Amino acid sequence: MKPCSFEYVKAESLEHALAVLVEHGDEAKILAGGQSLVPAMNFRLAQPAVLVDLNGVGALSGIERVDGMVQVGAMTRQRSAERSSVLSAHVPLVTETMPFIAHAQIRNRGTFGGSIAHADPSAELPAISVALSATLQVTSSRGSRSIAASDFYVDLLTTALEADEILVRVDLPIAVPGSGFAFAEVSRRHGDYALVGVAASVQCDASGVCQQARVSLLSVGPGPVLSTSCAAALIGERPTTRTIADAAAATASDDIDPEGDIHASARFRRHLARVLVERTLTRAFARAAVSAGAAEQA
Amino acid sequence: MTSIIGREIKLEDGAPKVQGQLKFGSDLVLHGQLYARLVTSPHAHALVTAIDTTGATKLEGVHSVITAVDLPDIAPASRSMLLLAKDRVRFVGHPVALVLAESEAIAQDAADQVLVNYEPQPHVTGLEATLALNAAPVWPEGLPGASAEAAAHGAVGGGDSGGAEASPNVAGDSTFERGNLEQGFAEADHIIECTYRTAGVHQSYIEPHATLVEIGPTGDEATVWTATQGTFFVRDAVAAVLSMEASSVRVVGTPVGGGFGAKFCLYEPLLALAAKVSGRPVSMTMNRMEEMITATPAPATRVKVKLGAKRTGEMTALDAELVMDCGCFPGSMSILGPMLMGSNYQCPNQRVQGVEVLTNSPSTGAYRAPAAPQCAFAIESAIDEMARALDLDPLEFRAANASKPGDKMAMGNPWPVMGLVEVLDAMRNHPMWRDREQARAQGRGIGIAIGGWPGGIEPAAAACSLQGDGVLQIQISSVDLTGTRTTFQQIAAETFGIEPDQIRIISGDTQSGPFAGSTGGSKITYTVGPAIMEAVAEVKQQVLELASGVLEADAEDLEIKDGAVQVKGAPQSAIPLAKLARKTMSYGSTHKPLYGQGRNAQPGQAPGFCGQLAEVSVDQDTGEVTVHKLLLIQDVGKAINPLLVRGQMQGGAMQGLGWALYEELSTNEDGQTVTATLSDYALPHIAHLPTEFVMETVEVPAPTGPFGAKGVGEPPVIATAAAVANAVADAVGARVRSLPLSPPRVLAAGREN
Repeated sequence: MKPCSFEYVKAESLEHALAVLVEHGDEAKILAGGQSLVPAMNFRLAQPAVLVDLNGVGALSGIERVDGMVQVGAMTRQRSAERSSVLSAHVPLVTETMPFIAHAQIRNRGTFGGSIAHADPSAELPAISVALSATLQVTSSRGSRSIAASDFYVDLLTTALEADEILVRVDLPIAVPGSGFAFAEVSRRHGDYALVGVAASVQCDASGVCQQARVSLLSVGPGPVLSTSCAAALIGERPTTRTIADAAAATASDDIDPEGDIHASARFRRHLARVLVERTLTRAFARAAVSAGAAEQA
Repeated sequence: MTSIIGREIKLEDGAPKVQGQLKFGSDLVLHGQLYARLVTSPHAHALVTAIDTTGATKLEGVHSVITAVDLPDIAPASRSMLLLAKDRVRFVGHPVALVLAESEAIAQDAADQVLVNYEPQPHVTGLEATLALNAAPVWPEGLPGASAEAAAHGAVGGGDSGGAEASPNVAGDSTFERGNLEQGFAEADHIIECTYRTAGVHQSYIEPHATLVEIGPTGDEATVWTATQGTFFVRDAVAAVLSMEASSVRVVGTPVGGGFGAKFCLYEPLLALAAKVSGRPVSMTMNRMEEMITATPAPATRVKVKLGAKRTGEMTALDAELVMDCGCFPGSMSILGPMLMGSNYQCPNQRVQGVEVLTNSPSTGAYRAPAAPQCAFAIESAIDEMARALDLDPLEFRAANASKPGDKMAMGNPWPVMGLVEVLDAMRNHPMWRDREQARAQGRGIGIAIGGWPGGIEPAAAACSLQGDGVLQIQISSVDLTGTRTTFQQIAAETFGIEPDQIRIISGDTQSGPFAGSTGGSKITYTVGPAIMEAVAEVKQQVLELASGVLEADAEDLEIKDGAVQVKGAPQSAIPLAKLARKTMSYGSTHKPLYGQGRNAQPGQAPGFCGQLAEVSVDQDTGEVTVHKLLLIQDVGKAINPLLVRGQMQGGAMQGLGWALYEELSTNEDGQTVTATLSDYALPHIAHLPTEFVMETVEVPAPTGPFGAKGVGEPPVIATAAAVANAVADAVGARVRSLPLSPPRVLAAGREN
């Protein structure tokens, strides 16, 4: 189908894009990779008056390790993140998750920041940004600010970004010794919107006691959902099959409020959430143990 | 020259297709053409009380907005004659108005501004709801006439109608009986009684419907370019609405980017009328959402099966009832269904029934082996359940009851030559079946099923001429969906004695070419092939006679070799074919052109069977099914081009995996199709290809098929879903009786166990 007519602005710089946003406010929409926005426009579900294209702003792309962070430019293609040796060495959860995002052709075009700013509740990157305690750097003509990923997702397709702000960079803390991670999802077909997905990021001390358990779920609420039950049940404990199963069960029953749709009922989603939290935590703690052991040997 | 029959020649038009060079219907543009967009109903059933087109027509670039008042008052006896709603819409997606504009985008802008007042009426969706005696009638004023489209795929005739009190929406009911059911069940050691369901699925051709119509300058001729499987079928429909003689309508088939039964005739009559009313050529290419909402998918079904058998493996009784949700028009399959359910096995006592019901949904249509995947899922699952219950080998249980040529089909007529037994023999000997215990030891499940298709027939003619460059030109009018043009090159080349690259196949339109039936029912090679052979043989005879005069030798002593005619064994005598042909095409020549004709009407059908074996694993926590291996063994009569035969088998089985695991058209209670995009409607992807995907053929020649060939298109889609379901049952002991086998269903079945 054809989109409604709109004005197109190719931003020459970040400042140029910000100025267009000031001028047009809500009427303007940022075009990043376009993998969600353009289909929505073609279906006429989105009818922006002005499209501000960031694809010419090279400064917004790139992956770099800076101090204890890996900084990912918002316009970095998802495929570049998938293949990044910096990310695989220091934020391996990203590398494990990327193949679950749609298909390679879409990841070639789709951007890291675009997916986070779009805030689709079934998207993988918002969920792992929460699990990893990412910090989102945003800019407007008024200045810049940082937003914790867990404060960024406000509601369905709604973020803490103001109409004149642009997400410019995602800062991901690098994995420390004793940390482990895992991602899993179930979808109708690989590449489809997940029925349920789970990102787990845990950390244990040298004695195997859990210091951190951030488990973030997708497709079970209006945005990514951070499990409070997992943190409560696991931090300060040595994870066992039993405690992991209990934490998964509590997450599925208490932390999420999934809706049913044509692909899966709410009940089925709760079931999948339990199964996947259990699987990801088991894998994440196993990796944490290996990581802690390796650190000790070193 | 080695035989050309059995040679693996690549598709003649394969490279231009993958290189994006082939021109499809939507690539055609005529000077002055208008672009059409539909305005469709958002209601499942409503009265149309007013249509306000003023806003739409005011937009710059809009030519006009056509509504029912602009069109002749034609009784909508079939879906393609529904045209535009006059006063009532019967499904969400029912066309109400057609906007004509200078561009597609403008037409869409205008379509969005056509205001229609609706008065919603009680509607009914879903098979169970519409079976209720008090269901809201889909056609309160009565169903308008019989469906002409219905006959396009009918492969059988006859049948009785059940006389019981029925819902107002029962549109067809055919039952075939034999023996004594009661006695048969009394003789049984075990009885399986189960209900199976299959989801409505969409043919999901890549190319959407695309049509362009131009009315001739005098107004009494029309040309239609359209992606159809049946040009003559479209011709008759368009001629009827335009009140023209059929011969005044020229239908040019454009390359079909996937048809699978859905591209017979849909909007061609409406667009022809739009061209007539507007006085301009009119083009319309549907978008995917319109395809999902307003086209003609395959029906959802419910099949109740009661099967009785003896411990010795002898079937004693079969009582099967198929109900199909046909949407707002009947679909002609009430007879086909029982035939498919009650013919493959010899059961002495049986009653097989097919019921068509109507709902306020898009009318359904043919999809590759219409009704067969649904029937096979039910019957082949029930047979598997019986084998399990009686501890019988599922393959031997099938083999013990399998029909052979001469055995009775459901309607009582005898099976023609067919190879079900040979297919089962080949499966029995295949390592994937023989080594099944090894797979089971790894926690995997093995399932088998068989599917049969009766095959279609329809007359066809062909013409052949030898050109001055030595190329043998074949004129036909059948639509090529699956590589038949390449197959025909091989048939003609073998018949004449030259290489296939010396054959040119010319596909004519309904005025320039000889008649051929629609491409549907697995019949083009089987029916057009012999016509080509006859035409080629005639030209060959003419060539030999001409050469006989030139070489002063008896025609019987001549042979065609290396593109020339020579006295047998005497290459020094050779005269090139081109030279001979030119003798018939020169000024002052006294030799008649080398031109032959062939005609064919097959005396009977050539059924094809395909047995399938699936090896699966099931994630018992999530309900996800992975098909690791899929084996197809099909009787193809004779594989004229094994490459193309395997391609058809692979394509059919991939669509079968869609039936099995993914595809499901969903409608909400308001009658809205909620799976209206290919994001929500799950087609199998290339990633779902089984790791081992094995195609094997057996050849039981069709007596009147070209070189023994029979149709291969439909059989491979039929048994996949049943084989996968049987494999899932084998893996986890959970019997899923609804398609597709989605994770929630598999998980639920596992819990019940």
